[in-house]
Amino acid sequence: MIAPRPYTPRPYTLVAELTYRCPLRCLYCSNPLDFYRARNELSTGQWRLTLSQAAELGVVQLHLSGGEPLLRPDLPELVRHARSLDLYTNLITSGTLLDEDRLRKLRESGLDHIQLSIQGSDPANAELVAGTRSHESKLETARMVRKLEIPLTLNVVLHRLNIGHVRELIALAAELGAQRLELANTQFYGWALENRRLLMPTLDQYENAEQVVVQQIARYRGKMEIAFVRNDYLSGEPKPCMGGWGQSYICINPVGQVMPCHAASVIPGLRFESVKDLPLGRIWRDSPAINAFRGDDWMLQPCRECPRKTIDFGGCRCQAFLLTGNAAQADPICRLSPHHAAVEAARTEMAGDASQVYRDVRNSRRLSARD
Amino acid sequence: MTSESAWKPRLSAKARLKFDQLARQEMLLFPEAALILNETAAAIVRLCDGERPVGAIVAELSREFHSRDPAALEVEVNGFLDRIRMRGLLE
Repeated sequence: MIAPRPYTPRPYTLVAELTYRCPLRCLYCSNPLDFYRARNELSTGQWRLTLSQAAELGVVQLHLSGGEPLLRPDLPELVRHARSLDLYTNLITSGTLLDEDRLRKLRESGLDHIQLSIQGSDPANAELVAGTRSHESKLETARMVRKLEIPLTLNVVLHRLNIGHVRELIALAAELGAQRLELANTQFYGWALENRRLLMPTLDQYENAEQVVVQQIARYRGKMEIAFVRNDYLSGEPKPCMGGWGQSYICINPVGQVMPCHAASVIPGLRFESVKDLPLGRIWRDSPAINAFRGDDWMLQPCRECPRKTIDFGGCRCQAFLLTGNAAQADPICRLSPHHAAVEAARTEMAGDASQVYRDVRNSRRLSARD
Repeated sequence: MTSESAWKPRLSAKARLKFDQLARQEMLLFPEAALILNETAAAIVRLCDGERPVGAIVAELSREFHSRDPAALEVEVNGFLDRIRMRGLLE
């Protein structure tokens, strides 16, 4: 057991993954490959207690995420409880299970904001990525959200199959009345990493898209905010992941495990304790897994003596593990990393005919058996 | 820099002001972040009710904080309002 740190950072944000069940099968899904194992979900009472403990720790923002959180019938009750704790409450949804009644109920329960994903600007392309017929019902949901005057962020994950359509995506978001549009390039973990050869844009595509977005940001300023989340493989800059491991974000998965981010369960040897067994505050302060990469004692060269270590914290621990086999290595996105060649190779490994690995229970079982 | 004088800023629907018990400070919450506000900033945000033009907000603050330099205060208020409007927090 690593000794507890004298100073425990204050968490501001909790991502509550209520369930990994989802009607969609997106190729870029950020849930872990072995999500099917997380069947013993927290009860309503356990989530209520956890939210209360999070608020006591200093959390002010709650993202209700998944999977698809609307598959939990207790969602309005959890929203109501969160609001009674004065948490800013955001629902992250695929939007296919919402009718006006449910939406009204969520609004009455105090929901502050909805983040709705769409997969593209044209149905065929979007549904190829989502692996389901879903595009029209998502647009319908977006209109309903605006009709009920709930603040809306539209989120689109960008990749080779839709990054050429950023102009159309921006126009669509404006037409739907979104306050904010997130154009988030695919981050390559889990299902997205399985599908990397299919999803990685060309450098040309990426730079063109970025240029269009920059112009459109200026055009929509004050009307609709547009955020562009970079593709780190192509931008070449390691991301300061989660603002540092175990600093201000807590992610709790459907079975109650407390993690610094939603992908962290991929790192072997870290045992993430569950709120089923221990109070959240104790886990946040004392968990060996959460303390494993806090601060910079764990860093190897070149990070250890790098002047940028306080800016990017050595990049992403999960990516370091996935690409080098050791989570304490520098994120290989960095050109100073001894493993940077893996990233260079991935930038051009595209294959249009790579087979799609959809995120569903069958594939989850198959891929989990592989390890 | 200066916002048009007829503008009556109102906190956008997605943003919410909260008094944080831990830090004993006001916070402005919205989906992607939280801003910790100092006393002046919090007072400005509280006055953004969609009914007061910027000039009235400055006058109100000037009284509240017994400002000796209203011109400097006006610059400060305009700068702050522009910054948070750029983040989509005012309408």
